This record gives sequence, C-alpha cells and structure tokens, in this order.
Amino acid sequence: MVRFKNRYVLCEVVSEDPRCRQCIEDRAVGLAVRDAIGRVHGDYGLACCSISFTVKYLNAYTGTVLLRCRKDSYRLLCSALPFVRQLESRNQRYPCFLNTLHVGGTIRTCQKFLIQYNRRQLLLLLQNCTNEEERRCIQKSLLSCSLTEEQSQSGDEEDDDGTETD
Amino acid sequence: MRNQPASVTLPAEPGPFPGGGSRACPPSGDVRSEQQYRQQKFSNQSSGPSYRKDQYFPKGQNRGERGRGRGGWQGGCQSVSEEMPKYITASTFAQARAAEINAMLKAVAQKSSNSLVFQTLPRHMRRRAMSHNIKRLPRRLQEVARKEAEKAVHQKKEQSKTKCRKARRRHINLVAEFNRRQRKNIWLETHIWHAKRFHMVKKWGYCLGNSPTEKSYRACYRAMTKHCLLQDLSYYCCLELTGKENELLKQLARICSIDTGLTFEEACCLSGRFEGSLNLYRADHYPEDMLGPVTFLWKPRDGSENRQLWIWVHPALKQDILRELKAIFQCSEPEEIYIPEPVATSTQEEKRMDVVLTLGKKRKKEDKEGEKAVPVKKIIGDGTRDPFQSYSWISQTTGIVISDKTMEILRYRLIGPLSHSVLTETLKAASLQTEMADSETELNNWWVENCKDSEKVSLHQRQSAIFELLEGISSPSEMPPGTILGLTVGDPRVNLPKKKTKAMPDFEKYQDNDKVRQLYLEGVPVDCAHSFIWDQDICKNVTENKISEQDLNHMRAQLLVPGSHLDLGPCESKIPILLVQQPGKMAGEDRPGWGSGWDIYLPKGWGMAFWIPFIYRGVQVGGLQEALKHSEYQRTPHTPNDFPDCQAGMQFAKELESSLLEKFKRRPPAKRANYVKLGTLSPFVCPWGQLTKNWELRMKASGEFIPSSPHRERCATEGHSFCYPKEEVVKEASPKTGEAEETMEITSAEGALKTEDVTGTQDFGERGETMTTNDFIVLRSEKLLMQLSAWCYPTAGRDRRVRLISRLGQKDMTEDIFLPILMSYPRALVWVNLSLLRKGNPELHAMICIPTEDDLLHLSKDKLFCGPQEPKHRDIFKHKVQKLKEEKKKKKKDNTKALEGDPPSVPDKETTEEHEDLILGLWSDTLPDVTSHCSRTLLGYVTRGDFSLAAGCGEALGFVSLTGLLYMLHKQPADKKGLVLLRTPASLQYRFARLNIEV
Repeated sequence: MVRFKNRYVLCEVVSEDPRCRQCIEDRAVGLAVRDAIGRVHGDYGLACCSISFTVKYLNAYTGTVLLRCRKDSYRLLCSALPFVRQLESRNQRYPCFLNTLHVGGTIRTCQKFLIQYNRRQLLLLLQNCTNEEERRCIQKSLLSCSLTEEQSQSGDEEDDDGTETD
Repeated sequence: MRNQPASVTLPAEPGPFPGGGSRACPPSGDVRSEQQYRQQKFSNQSSGPSYRKDQYFPKGQNRGERGRGRGGWQGGCQSVSEEMPKYITASTFAQARAAEINAMLKAVAQKSSNSLVFQTLPRHMRRRAMSHNIKRLPRRLQEVARKEAEKAVHQKKEQSKTKCRKARRRHINLVAEFNRRQRKNIWLETHIWHAKRFHMVKKWGYCLGNSPTEKSYRACYRAMTKHCLLQDLSYYCCLELTGKENELLKQLARICSIDTGLTFEEACCLSGRFEGSLNLYRADHYPEDMLGPVTFLWKPRDGSENRQLWIWVHPALKQDILRELKAIFQCSEPEEIYIPEPVATSTQEEKRMDVVLTLGKKRKKEDKEGEKAVPVKKIIGDGTRDPFQSYSWISQTTGIVISDKTMEILRYRLIGPLSHSVLTETLKAASLQTEMADSETELNNWWVENCKDSEKVSLHQRQSAIFELLEGISSPSEMPPGTILGLTVGDPRVNLPKKKTKAMPDFEKYQDNDKVRQLYLEGVPVDCAHSFIWDQDICKNVTENKISEQDLNHMRAQLLVPGSHLDLGPCESKIPILLVQQPGKMAGEDRPGWGSGWDIYLPKGWGMAFWIPFIYRGVQVGGLQEALKHSEYQRTPHTPNDFPDCQAGMQFAKELESSLLEKFKRRPPAKRANYVKLGTLSPFVCPWGQLTKNWELRMKASGEFIPSSPHRERCATEGHSFCYPKEEVVKEASPKTGEAEETMEITSAEGALKTEDVTGTQDFGERGETMTTNDFIVLRSEKLLMQLSAWCYPTAGRDRRVRLISRLGQKDMTEDIFLPILMSYPRALVWVNLSLLRKGNPELHAMICIPTEDDLLHLSKDKLFCGPQEPKHRDIFKHKVQKLKEEKKKKKKDNTKALEGDPPSVPDKETTEEHEDLILGLWSDTLPDVTSHCSRTLLGYVTRGDFSLAAGCGEALGFVSLTGLLYMLHKQPADKKGLVLLRTPASLQYRFARLNIEV
C-alpha cells in the first residue's frame, strides 16, 4: 500500500496588534499563505502547493496554525511563509508574520511538538514573572495541563477538564 | 483522523450582547473574573452562574474546544475595534497555552487508527505472541492493550469459550450436542454422513441433503441409467393401520377411486405380494380435494384376523392424510390405554421422559441389571417427538389402530440396473441359529425361536434362495412392478470390503439357470413377502441389541490375522428387512423401465450399518435434487411440487413464489426482466385457477363447440351433476370475481384494464380465497387420460397411431365423445409432458401456448423454423411505478422537513401501503384473461423443465387446461396434432414442442 505523504508545517502567527487574532481563521490564513506562494513562486508554485493544501488546525488565542501540503512541495511552502505579511478578514487587515515552529510528517508529531513547545513557553513565562499574582496564575495553568496529562494517561478518555481545574 | 482538536477561532457572531460588553477582558487582568471564565469554558456541562449559554450555543453541546474558546473570549467578540485589548496579560497567555496543551495531549493520547496497539509499534520492538501476552508489550502500552483485549473478548461468541475443542469433540459431549440439535428438526440416521458431503436444507421438519457439494449432476444421471444411485428416503412417513380387513377396506375405499388406477382392494396388493401406489382424496370427494399420492403395503396374511397396512406418505402430506384417516376411522383416542404394549411411545421414549424430569439436558440411561451403559444415549428415531404425546390412535367402535411410525422404519432407495448386484453383494442372508449366544442378553432370541420352527426355516431358505437369484436378473425393471421380498440378513458390517469397489453382476453364472427363468416368469411368490420387520417387538429387539461400531472395531482389532473376515458366530445380529421393487418408467414408449430399482426397509438404528456397506459397493448418493431429476426423467409428477390441487402443493407453490420474488427483487431494477413487457403475467407462480376459469368462460362465450342445441342439452344433462353445483360454490365464494370476469369477456382488453382498476383491490383479496378453495381439479382418471393420450398422437406415422388407438381400444376424436368430457370436467388440468422439436430449453413456469395456423404452415414449409416471436408489450404500469417513486421521494423530503413538526399525515401512509407491491416489471393488478393476453392462446404452464440428459433434447413437464387441450386438438389438422408452442417467462421466442400424455 502506498499512501500520499504529506508535510505538516506548524507555525505561529506573530502580530503586534492583538486584534489580529480575530483574523485568524481557516479561510483568511489559507488565502494569505496562498497569496504569498503565488507572489513568490508564481502560478507553478502555487499549483504545486495547492495539491492537498489545507489548514488543519488553528488556534486564535495562541496563534498556532497547522498547514498541510504534499511532501514534494513543502519547500516551496516553507520558503513562501516568511512572505506572509498580513491577514485579512471581514474587511480588516492586520500586519503580522508567520513563524515556523516545526515541520513534521504527521499531525501527531506536530501535536507532540506543540505540547512541548507550549510547556516550554509557560516555564519561560513563569521564570520571567514580575508579580505574585501572575506567578500564581501561571502556576495554576501549568498545573492544570500537567494534571490532565496524568489523567489521560490513566485512561479516562472523556475527562472533563473544567472540573479538574477547580 | 478522528477526534482531532478542532480549530479555535474568535467568535464571529456580530451583534450586541448585553452582558458581553461588561465582561470584556479587563486590561488589568482581573483574576477573579478570568477564573470565572475559565470555569465556564472548561466545564461545558457545569451550569455556570447566570451565563446565557443557550444563547451562545443554540445547537446544544458544541465541540469541546470550540466551546471553550467562545466561552473564554466572548467578551472580546463584539464591537471589535473598541473592545479588543491592546495588549495581553501573562495570565491569559498562559491559560491559552494550557488549554491548547490539554487539547493536544488529549489528541495525542488517543489512538488514531483502527490498528491494535502492538501493531503500531515499530518493527524492532515487536515480540512474538504479543497479542496473546500483554506483558510482552512496552509497559506504557500495556494498559491500552488490556482494554483492547477485553473489548475483543466481548465481541467473541460466548459459547465456544466454555469448553475447549477437545472437550467438545469428546464422544459423550458430541452426542449430547447432536441430540440437542436434532430436537428441532428431525435428523436422519445418515445425517452426519450427509452433512459432510451435501448441501443440507431444512424441509418439512427434517434436515435433508439437497444435492452433493461435489460436481455430480451427470454422474448421478449415469448412476441412475447404468449403475446405482442410493438415496435415503427415511424421511418418508409410515402410517400403520391395523384392524380387520373388511373394516379397513370399507373405509379406505372412500378416500381413493378406481378411476385413478389402483385401490387398496387390488387383489395382488391385498395379498401382500406387491406394493401399490395411488392417489388419496378426501373421503367421498373424488375428484376434488386431493390429499396426495401414497404407496401402500399390506402385511401378508398370517392367519390372524387383523391385517396390517403400511401407508407411506411424503412428510409434506402427512398431516392432511393422517387427519383424514383419523376422521374416516373415527380414531380419536390415544391408544396407550387400550393396548398393553404401547407402540410408538416405546421404552426409549419413557427413558427420555425420565431424563427430562431428572436431569434436563443429558439423558442418562437407567442402570440396567447393574451395568452402566453409555451415559448419553444417541437419539434413534424421531428426536422431535413429545414424550407425553401419543402417536397412535384407536377407534373404539371398530378396534382399528392408526399409528404414526415416522422414523421407526428406515427406507433407502437404490435406483439403477445394478441395484441388485449391490444388494446381493452387500446383504447376506442370515445363518440359522439354534442356540443362544449368551443367555443373559436378548440378542437374537427371536431368531433362535424362529429357527426352531421348521416351516419358518424353510421359508427363510426359500427367501434367501430367491434373493441370491436376483443377481442373475439384469435389471430390476424385469421384475413385476412393486414386488415385495422379505428377508432376514446378517450384519452387513461384517463383510465390508477393504476398499470401495464397484459391484458388478456376474451373468455367466446364471446364464442357463432354470430358476432364474422361473423367477422371471413367476415373480416372487406370495409367502416370500413375509418379513419380521412387521413385528414391532422384533424390530425393537433388533434396534436395541445392535453391536456398537466401537465393539465391532474392537473385535476386529483382536483378530489374529489383521484384516481377515470377522466371524461373529452366534453373536451376529440378524436384521429383518423388506425389499420392494420400484418399477421405474412404466408409461410412455421410450426408455421402458428406466429408473427402476429397489427400496429397502430397515428397522431403525441400523441406518449407518447398512449405509456404509452400500457406499463401499460403489453406489453414487443423491439428494433431493437428484430425486427430482429422477422423477423428471421418468416423467412422473414429483411430490409435492407437481400436485397443485393438494394442500402441500399449494404451500409449495407459495413458497416458491416468494423465494423467486425475493430473488427477483435482489437484482438491481435495471437488470431485471420486465415481465410486463414480455407479456408474462405471472412469472413466479402458475395461476391454475385463473387459467381453468378463463378457459371455461372462453368456451361458454364462444359457443363454437356446440353444434346443435339438442345435442348440447343432452351433454348438459349428462354433465349436470358435476358441472353446476361446483360453479355455484365458486360463485358463492367470490361473486365479485365472477362479475369482473364477465365484464372482461365483453369489453376489449383496454376496457378490461379499466374495470379492473376499479375493482382491483377487492379482487386481489378474493383471488387469494379462491386459490385456497381450489376451484380446479387435476384429471387423474386413467380411462380419460388414455383417450386423450391417443388423440394427442399425430397421424404422421399413420400406422402407429392406428395401432395405438386399436391397442388402447379408443375411438376417434369426434364431438359426441369429447363433449361429455368437456361438460363433466369444466375446470380440469391434465399432466402432460413436452419435448421440444428443435432448439430451446424450457424453464420453470414456461407457458404452453396453442400455435396459430400460420405457425404450423410456416413450420411445414421451413424445416429450420424455430418458432414465432411474441410482439413486445407495453408496460402499462411503468408510469404508475414512476409516479409512486416520485411520491416517495417527496414524502421523504417532507418527513425530513417536518421532523420537528407534526407527524406525516395519515392518508399518505395509506396510499403507500396500497401500492406497496408495485414492482417495476411485474403485473401488479389482478390478472386479466390469462389465456388471451399474448398473441398465442395460453394452454398451460410448465412446472419442471430442463435439458433432458435422457432424451437428448429439452423436455418439460406441466399441466394444461383440459378444455383448452380439447379445443386445440379439435382445431388442429390430423398430422399436426399435439404440436404446441413453448415460451419461457423471460423470453419473447416461442419454440415448437410436442405434447404427450403418458399413461
């Protein structure tokens, strides 16, 4: 059996304006990336990348975006990502750029990376805390995610996260 | 990928939310309010304090992540430009990250594919038997694997887990299991043998072999013609009647008629010398209300006043016939009280009864004389019988006893010319024995007793002498039909050959044997028909004292010279059997005696002991399908397929129709034959009632047949007693159908359709009724059939016909002869056989039609003319079906639309129910005049048709309307008599066939 091999590009939307977050949508991100590829690589490159190109996952709050494309053309995609300069949605345009975090062969590896990455970020945040309030808050959230990790490993699939955090 | 976290975006619903504005994320990062949000967004189920959740989630539960996002950030959604914070706080940042980590963790921890845990491991980490032993997996995966294993166990069947295969296959458990399984359907004694080699079907309460799994269609035919085909007919039911001869005969005369051939009174049968076969009718109802065909044997007279009569019936007919017999003999009392020795409910049954009470499942045999035998006893005989129910009935007035001896007597059938060599090789007449082998057992005590009587010894010697002479006769058909030979034989297992060999006769040995010649001429004398199988006590004794296979093998193993002949001496069982000759093909001119053979009747329990030795003589074994072919090549009607006038036949037709319809519906509509276009009104069932009725009306309407009025009156008065009462009955039963048909007669075809549309629904129900009331009869009067048979012959070979007619003593076909027939049997069917002139392979339910004059002319001109074509018909139902389909579609849409609304209105439902049976390609209204629907007038239907290996051309068997047949014969020129057209249901091509009636 032969399967189509894909590459998943995990990137982060970095913007100075927090309002940019509302632009982080499937369509807007996809269009922006396509636009960038078109500008950089022309029609040929766009067509290459468009095969099975899709936005698999995004999180507006953290700005994480997971893109998929064929393995053959992921270089084209990666090279075009820095040229995304703005996101546009609902007639609003916000400047931003995409920061590639990880390129993986499966969604799963990307997810694993994302866990790791986020945890690192939280620890960093904890280190650089300025006041007690913040520290407490961050600790709490750190604990919350580590707690559920244990829970999920012990096998309860449908754990209600909210109740655990309380 | 399943269960992936969905994308999280900011809520996009624009519009003012009254509560939302105030809860916009405060720039200072108010922890308390954040806390509340958090609580909200994580607990979708938890009832948050005063949140208008339903407003935000109008469709109930949303996906977790999405909901979370919305709940958390709802404040920032509206009036974007102002409310959006200009900067972010550490806490929200952290919370967002934490939420994402949670989501991802969940996704990663979940198994994504369908594969098992150990299958996802990389190859180098795999270990042998990992699926079996969880501990071989890496520890982190063990938990998941355990859960998987539990799941798999649940899916497995519970039953096989209880015992290992070895335990299940242990003899005692196996027998218990077999006994359990044959409680519902009766198993023949050869069941296990058959089940390994045959496609088994459940029919008539039995498990029967349908046809061999191996390719054997031709092999079976060859065996029938050249060698020997064996069949287990033990499923035939034996009804035993015991009583005074004249009492029996008096009542039995009511249920059969001399017209159809034999009766129970036939002298040679009554003496017990021959077996007879006849058709039973409901008492005093001949020729209506057919019960079914039976064969019967009288026990030879032995001095006592009471006679025994065995009536062998097909299991499908048994209940009807038994009920009728009980009615005419007024036997209603269960017998047990009156007769000291209960017949059917033998000790075995009693034993079972005990066991049912005590143990429930396993039937333990009682300790008998201190020795404990096999704990679980194999069911011998009918396993489905209720031990509390009696199976014999006595009449208090006449003392006649009817007992149902189903499965008490086994019956094997050997078909083919070499069946006697098989018999003579397999069976050896029992040796005389004067002293008991062992005083303790009852083994052979009846035989020892018998051997003391010199008269009986001489009888036995005569019987065995005749039996040995049988080998000298080249074919069973040379014996008089139905010859009975009783015999007592030794255990056939003793002289089992080492290898399977073909039994071949040695004719030279008997070339100039006067005794053989004498046997030819005289047949088997009457006294040789005597057999001990008639005696129940002896049968029981023989059944119970059978040496088990195990013991026999044990004895064989102890022989000094391995493989030498085992001589049991006085321990050898003696088994009474009955051999009955089957006449084979008697009617017709070609292949006389084809398919003749012997039936062998055995006491129960000895089935396999005789079966295997037969197999070792190289016989071919056939199942139900082979029996069907056998009767097809013999051109005899097969029970119950070809008895449309008895209950079982009607039942069979109904089942056949439903199964064919199911099969038809399973095809995609585009690949189905459109029978409406082909002009086939009923491809799955033969509407005999409709056919005969239509012909009757046709004759009445046309009035062609009636040349002069005085003549007609005479005929009418002659046929009055038969004709009119019947009609009245029919009319009473269904006045509306009669009306509808009359209107049909008057109006044209299109008009008829219209009238039917009006009366359609009522007619449909009544058609079912009339089908059951059976408004037609099948002509079985031998005299009339003979007459018809003579008329059917063409005069092409003029001398032949003349000879035939003179032989039959028949008159030429003139109006004053056939008109009375017509009048007395207005609605009769005749069993005919058809052989195709040229091409063509007739099928089930093919239509027999009358050729037009042009067709015959064309045939005589062009020798290669295959037959005319039926013009294509128009599918008048297509429109309706399509409309219905559209309606259905629309309704479906409505239903989906009105899911929350009120339920679908009632009239809609009614309409669908009405048209439920509208299938494209099938005639869905009541049938119009079946005879005139196509371009050629319909005469009858084929019930069985195939390419005949025996005749080398397509042959068919079926019924035609008597009226139609006479009409056709009357119209046809002398040299073309008996030519008909045959058309299969799925074709437009007619083929020429010759119609024959064999008597």
